[in-house]
Amino acid sequence: MKKKLTFKNFSIYFDQYLFISITLLSVMGLFFLYSASQGDLNTVIKQSIFVGFGLILMFILSQPDPDFYKIFSSLFIILAILLIFATMIFGREINGAKRWLNFGFFTLQTSEIIKIALPIFLASYLYDKPLPISLKHTFITLALILFIFYLVYSQPDLGTGLVVFMAGIYILFLAGLSWKFIFTSFGLIVLSMPFLWNNFLEPFQRQRILTFIDPSNDPFGSSWNITQSKIAIGSGGMSGKGFQEGSQANLNFLPEAETDFIFAVIAEEFGFLGVCVLLSLFFFILLRCIYLAFNARDRFCRLTIGGLSLVFASTLFINLGMVVGIIPVVGMPMPFISKGGSSLLSFYIAFGIIISMATHKKLMQK
Amino acid sequence: MIDLNERYAEKKSFFNRLVVVYVFFGFVFSFFLYQTYSLQVSEYKDYETAAIANKTKEVLVQPVRGIIYDRSGKIIVNNVPTYDLIVKASLIKNIDAFLSDLSPIIELDSDELDYVRENFDLKALYNRELIVKKNLSREEIAKFEVRGYKFPNAFIDVRYSRYNNYPELFSHAVGYVGGVSNDELVSILNSQALPQIETIFKYSNGFQIGKTGLESTYDQILRGKFGKKIFEVDARGRFVEEREFIKPKNGENLFTTLDIEAQQVAYDQMDNRRGAVVAIEIDSGSIVSYVSTPSFSTNAISNGISSRAFNALIQDKDKPFFDRASQGRYSPASTIKPAIALFGIENNIIDWDFSMEDPGYFILPEDQRVYRGWRKGGHGNVNLNKAMIVSSNTFFFSLAYKSDINKLIEHLSNFGFGTKVCADCFNPDKALLPTPEWKMNNLNFGWFKGDTVNLGVGQGYLSATPLQLAYYSSVLANKGTSKELSFIHEKQDIKNLNIQLNNTDDLDWKRLHQSMIGVIESPIGTAKRLQELKTYTVAAKSGTVELVSTDTKEDYKIIRENEGNRDHAIIIAFGPMPNPKYAVSVVIENGESGGSVAGPVAIAVLNSLIGK
Repeated sequence: MKKKLTFKNFSIYFDQYLFISITLLSVMGLFFLYSASQGDLNTVIKQSIFVGFGLILMFILSQPDPDFYKIFSSLFIILAILLIFATMIFGREINGAKRWLNFGFFTLQTSEIIKIALPIFLASYLYDKPLPISLKHTFITLALILFIFYLVYSQPDLGTGLVVFMAGIYILFLAGLSWKFIFTSFGLIVLSMPFLWNNFLEPFQRQRILTFIDPSNDPFGSSWNITQSKIAIGSGGMSGKGFQEGSQANLNFLPEAETDFIFAVIAEEFGFLGVCVLLSLFFFILLRCIYLAFNARDRFCRLTIGGLSLVFASTLFINLGMVVGIIPVVGMPMPFISKGGSSLLSFYIAFGIIISMATHKKLMQK
Repeated sequence: MIDLNERYAEKKSFFNRLVVVYVFFGFVFSFFLYQTYSLQVSEYKDYETAAIANKTKEVLVQPVRGIIYDRSGKIIVNNVPTYDLIVKASLIKNIDAFLSDLSPIIELDSDELDYVRENFDLKALYNRELIVKKNLSREEIAKFEVRGYKFPNAFIDVRYSRYNNYPELFSHAVGYVGGVSNDELVSILNSQALPQIETIFKYSNGFQIGKTGLESTYDQILRGKFGKKIFEVDARGRFVEEREFIKPKNGENLFTTLDIEAQQVAYDQMDNRRGAVVAIEIDSGSIVSYVSTPSFSTNAISNGISSRAFNALIQDKDKPFFDRASQGRYSPASTIKPAIALFGIENNIIDWDFSMEDPGYFILPEDQRVYRGWRKGGHGNVNLNKAMIVSSNTFFFSLAYKSDINKLIEHLSNFGFGTKVCADCFNPDKALLPTPEWKMNNLNFGWFKGDTVNLGVGQGYLSATPLQLAYYSSVLANKGTSKELSFIHEKQDIKNLNIQLNNTDDLDWKRLHQSMIGVIESPIGTAKRLQELKTYTVAAKSGTVELVSTDTKEDYKIIRENEGNRDHAIIIAFGPMPNPKYAVSVVIENGESGGSVAGPVAIAVLNSLIGK
């Protein structure tokens, strides 16, 4: 495996396995999007520009030494938080949600930035803390996670908020959160569920969860999406209906076919076999991340790779679970496949940083 | 800084924890894969069906209703394609604004405007189309085509109108059609194994079903079967492409036994007087003429009528909607006498040689009550033949007096009284053949001998419809054998209804026919005025139904000042003799004389039938 190409004056940091599998996934994504958008070339061209830019960005972000990310992690998170505040003030409102900052040429979904900045910052904060993490540091970390979760959640963007929250918890867990604390707090959370239900969930979110538990509750409201998605997936069968042959997507029965529900389009047109091929690519990427994390040069790199790859994994599983109807609809794109700007780019950024963490080696001290 | 041991412990802990997370994700992933597998493989069939159901929509295609012919193959009722201006009522917010926008392009008369305004709300509620104007002219179509863009919810299309070529002749026999109610449509769709809830509001509009007459009796045959167009639609229900077209099965044509010419003659002869004419082909039991007057136009009723015009018909005191032929109850009066005569012969109460004095009245021995004949002073010495010809009440009072009431009732019911005599008439009435039980149950009185006496001259509680009288006439003509009446032969299991008479031979029947011929041909016959109206021999029996009982001609003159008190005129006839082919009955309400008022109508109808 080539990780470092050394030339005369400089080195290139690169992981061919991740690079090839991500590129393959992105290109497949373009084909899926072509079908999901009912052959709209404009959408596909726009998306391929993002993909191309994303791949370049990933490559560029692999080059700096992990110390660069470690040193500037506080700066990143402060910037990210400021962007969220800016969104609150200057953000563009779409469908009652203020999640986007308009830069003229590009509309940035600011929660996507914090999704990456938070794991890096936490890694840099926790990498030198003795095991197990002390109560003091645990609480500081948790306070930060909850604060950021609340910022994102109040946009409102529960989906990304959950991913940010989970990402923070992963890092804390991987960094060595004491088991005693885990079990105690888990018990407390279970006990406080009713309170959270009544005070933190918007009525439409409660409705989504209720509908999820009993779909007959609301035949044409929230569960319409799940029902149509299930029909699309189920009717794909073992081998699918064929490229661009999915009636659920082509006749607009499937909502959000280009974004959140693109998996249903893939399942309808390529069947269970296609789903297995696609998922094995994702699976390969995740396994590669474990390998890279285990071989990373220090604790900071390990935590960062672990945290970011788990952000990626949880985004994927929330999306998949939502589309097949095993978790409520929260609005979550499929990484590298769904149409999108910020959310798409965020994963190229994340993997750029993962590659940087994995490829830069340092001589052992002493 | 942490030392090397700690570094190793940290690495181990990290790795263990990463594995814990991945194992957790592994579970989630397995669950996800299981779910996908069950959707795509285990439950594939269900979801495939659901996906197909999602994208296909069925629209019903109407069959064209069958044509109704007369017995010589002339069309009575047809479907006439017309170009109609149609609106989607549910999409129009203000119908008055719509109509005023429309007025410069297509003019509507006041009846049409009324019709649109009256029906708009209901059609909008049920999402049905509303026909604003029927039968547009070429100019109107051209005008609308030019400016139609102003009316996105209106369009011109071909619709079939049910058109009766003789709208007033057959109003009761053939009946009319009308819009279908939701319940009716549901049951029709069920019977054709079609889905209803989804298609009920989407079927092509203007479907009509038979409401009365043959249109109703044979509706199932006439209506045909719906076809289907299967479309592919998108999520908003918009048309994508046509997938399949199952052609509708048009309704079968109906070949009736009705005779347009005889019908026309009967209708003209009735001249809008209240009454009915029914004529029958004796051998087959076919109804060839069936008229109830006054009448109304079925075309107006079938194809949209304003409520003003409809109310005028409903409130008409002559009740044009009332089907007198099968629902009007009239005392048979003297027309019952041939049946009573047969009873007397069958039961050996009298024979053709028996005679008695007719003083003009009959005194009931039990209570000395007097039953009067129609002629003061009576008819002198009468035998059965004379009693028939002059219609002697005394003779038949006396004969009935000697009769067993239960036997007599059974005998009369064999001639169709109090029974259903028609296989396919619309809602026929059985009228009333009174029995002692009936009287006790309904009037709380026992049967008096006087009731039996009254039965002998067809008065009292006994009543019959013109249809039953025509049947009775044909049974007499055919010497006791008959077929259940019907309008269509090949469609019915026609019952043979033979009367078992053991003591009555062919000679008796011939002598009975002879006496009925005498009713017209004899110089003393009650219908002798009919002699000159024909060129062949006809057997008949006239009757005059007393509505108000009077003792003298002077009294009658007083009560006849009120037209509604005048006697009904009634006649049964059959001919040509001696081998009769047609039997007929005529009732004219308040017509006063069976022989000279109802008689000419009967003869004219027979002329029209026999003249061929």
